Amino acid sequence: MTMTKTTSPESKPGIKRFIGIDWNIGALKTASPRYWAFVSLLGVLFSMGVMAWGTQLNLGGAVMGMRDNYPWGLWFVNYMYYIGLSAGGLIVYASVHLFGAEQFRPLSRLAVLQAGVLVMMALLGILSDMERPWRAVFMLLTPNPTSPFVYTGSAAGIYMLICFVDLWILITGKGGEKLAMRMTLIALPFAIYLHTTTAFVLALNKSRELWNSAVMVPIFLTSATASGIALLLISAYILQRLKVMKFKKTMFRSLSTLLATVIIIDIFFLLVELLVMLWPTSSQPGHAIRIQQFLTGPYAWAFLPVLILGITAFTLLSRRNTRHKPAVQLTAAAMYVFAIFLKRYSLMAMGFGINSLGQPTGVFVPSLLEVVLALGILSLGMLIMTAGAKVLPLVVPEDEHHEPHVWVTDDEEPALEPEVTSL
Amino acid sequence: MSPETDRDRDVRPEGATAESGTTFSRRHFLESLGVVAGVVAAGTVPALMTAGTAAAATTATAGESNPLAHVIEEDADYNYPGKPVKYADPAGDQKWAMVIDTKACVGCRKCVYACVKENNIGRNEGFTYIQVLEMEDGSIDLETADANYAEGGRPDKWYLPVQCMHCAKPTCVYGCPVKATWKEPDGIVVIDYDKCIACRNCIVTCPYGARHFNWYEPEVPEAEINPKVPLKEKAGVVEKCTFCIQRVRNGQTTACTEACPVGARVFGDLNDPNSNVSVLLKTRRAWRLKETLGNEPMIWYVG
Repeated sequence: MTMTKTTSPESKPGIKRFIGIDWNIGALKTASPRYWAFVSLLGVLFSMGVMAWGTQLNLGGAVMGMRDNYPWGLWFVNYMYYIGLSAGGLIVYASVHLFGAEQFRPLSRLAVLQAGVLVMMALLGILSDMERPWRAVFMLLTPNPTSPFVYTGSAAGIYMLICFVDLWILITGKGGEKLAMRMTLIALPFAIYLHTTTAFVLALNKSRELWNSAVMVPIFLTSATASGIALLLISAYILQRLKVMKFKKTMFRSLSTLLATVIIIDIFFLLVELLVMLWPTSSQPGHAIRIQQFLTGPYAWAFLPVLILGITAFTLLSRRNTRHKPAVQLTAAAMYVFAIFLKRYSLMAMGFGINSLGQPTGVFVPSLLEVVLALGILSLGMLIMTAGAKVLPLVVPEDEHHEPHVWVTDDEEPALEPEVTSL
Repeated sequence: MSPETDRDRDVRPEGATAESGTTFSRRHFLESLGVVAGVVAAGTVPALMTAGTAAAATTATAGESNPLAHVIEEDADYNYPGKPVKYADPAGDQKWAMVIDTKACVGCRKCVYACVKENNIGRNEGFTYIQVLEMEDGSIDLETADANYAEGGRPDKWYLPVQCMHCAKPTCVYGCPVKATWKEPDGIVVIDYDKCIACRNCIVTCPYGARHFNWYEPEVPEAEINPKVPLKEKAGVVEKCTFCIQRVRNGQTTACTEACPVGARVFGDLNDPNSNVSVLLKTRRAWRLKETLGNEPMIWYVG
């Protein structure tokens, strides 16, 4: 690694130092037109989302696809999905500091940024769903200790802060390895707590037969971890492709091995839950009639692919002669990220497909405005990631403890890219 | 005292006393007003509020011999203290309950219409507090029931009216993240429309499908507006059956009870051993919907 050098921020044009981080504003000036085209596409989507939110605040919930039979719609699917996706980042980051998984170290900053942004998107989803967002203040003034919402909401907020503080610590190198390690000790249990409480929002309802199961908690943890790792793998590939960062092949191997392991555990939990619902000695009519909607009924299109995609992804990642190929890893990861979205949708529908008075409610279809709103939030997240990849020093210097940071690279200046010695 | 009594005492908030003989004058209106006044958004009429510190005088009239004593004790006021109810009188020392005779019910939906009129339910919202389920003979299976049966009702079916059960252990009250809904001392579960954050967790957590969200601005024809019940405040928040709190605390019965042409509904006070509901529960074989869930609903069915 020859390229690492300690630059004083003033020595390089376009770098602004703020809160201890060197923001490479100059990289934006030299960014390619393609980059700006992408950014402006996201910008358009984002402003459409803002307009959709304004419409919703103005006209009320009527503009959404939700009704009494579906009190939670697309925002809830996305809430579970984004909270889940954020897990992978933290697992990877934690394994560097906790278990010495050095192969993941180059990913750590990207992972933590991604986790923070995803949780922010999840929180924005909740906020955008509220008819009067300012009433959220009652969550702080008069929280009800028996409501799982209080726990998952506060956990998500605190977790987002932890992620951004963590990112700052990782970039500035303040406190060194020791502080990074301690942050992991806070962040990892907190991430588990966040996913547990999110699962509890579903599981702690005796009114909803299919949700009311303790296995919901481990399923949330494994789905979250699997989809999160898969997304991180995809992000890493994209950034490598865009020549923002470079990673060792062994890192992708470790990542995909981890992914395959978690996928199979995830599927296992799902299958045992299905078994309990369908086995003659344990099947209850209320459960059976509801799960039937997902196996042969109107929701089969959403639920069966979860199993099919999951098992296919696992097979792809475990075949000895092809599993090292980037294309295979990417395909499997993309399959599982998509599968988990379908799983979140199915989970939402499992609570509402037949309502608590036993009446079938029809398939939930979000309204156009709801979709635009969700896309707006998604594009805001992607905007932050896109800008972050350019501006933030996400590349981890090989010897980060001794040399204080500043590894900024640029599309236009290949000379500044860190060289990866081993492959 | 039964063990339930002690347990229920424990969950009462500080300041809630359970001794007998609680009277109106002992309610601490100002105390609870002061806590909440600061955070209530200005300009709106507070909808449902309560003097949170008052407790029901359940033991006063429920003697040891009353077989309903345990039921009354179960129905402790899980009183996440709210504000005084503004559009209804303060709670008395009753314990409201209802008994519905499914043998008598013909499924005419007169109760539904009376309820819609009485409670300013938006005609555009597409929900009613009461849902009448058309049940197959020989089955109380909800999954085979039909809530959207054709007008009138058929003699070869039986009918099960379902509404807010005002449970003794209301999952909706436990599930509300901001304590915008609570149980009044007389057992009525109320909602503060000015506090509801529209998270709809109570809708999800209610096993009886009793809660409904105002997706639209509720529309009621000018001539049919009941001035005793909030209307504008209900836009974008959750509402549900209130046991006609504006009527029953003024000595009237609920609108649905009044409207029932066959007398299938009986509404009354469990604390009064001679009330119609008390007598029915002591003399008839009564059951409750989804009793296994342990919500302890305050609506019984006989038939």
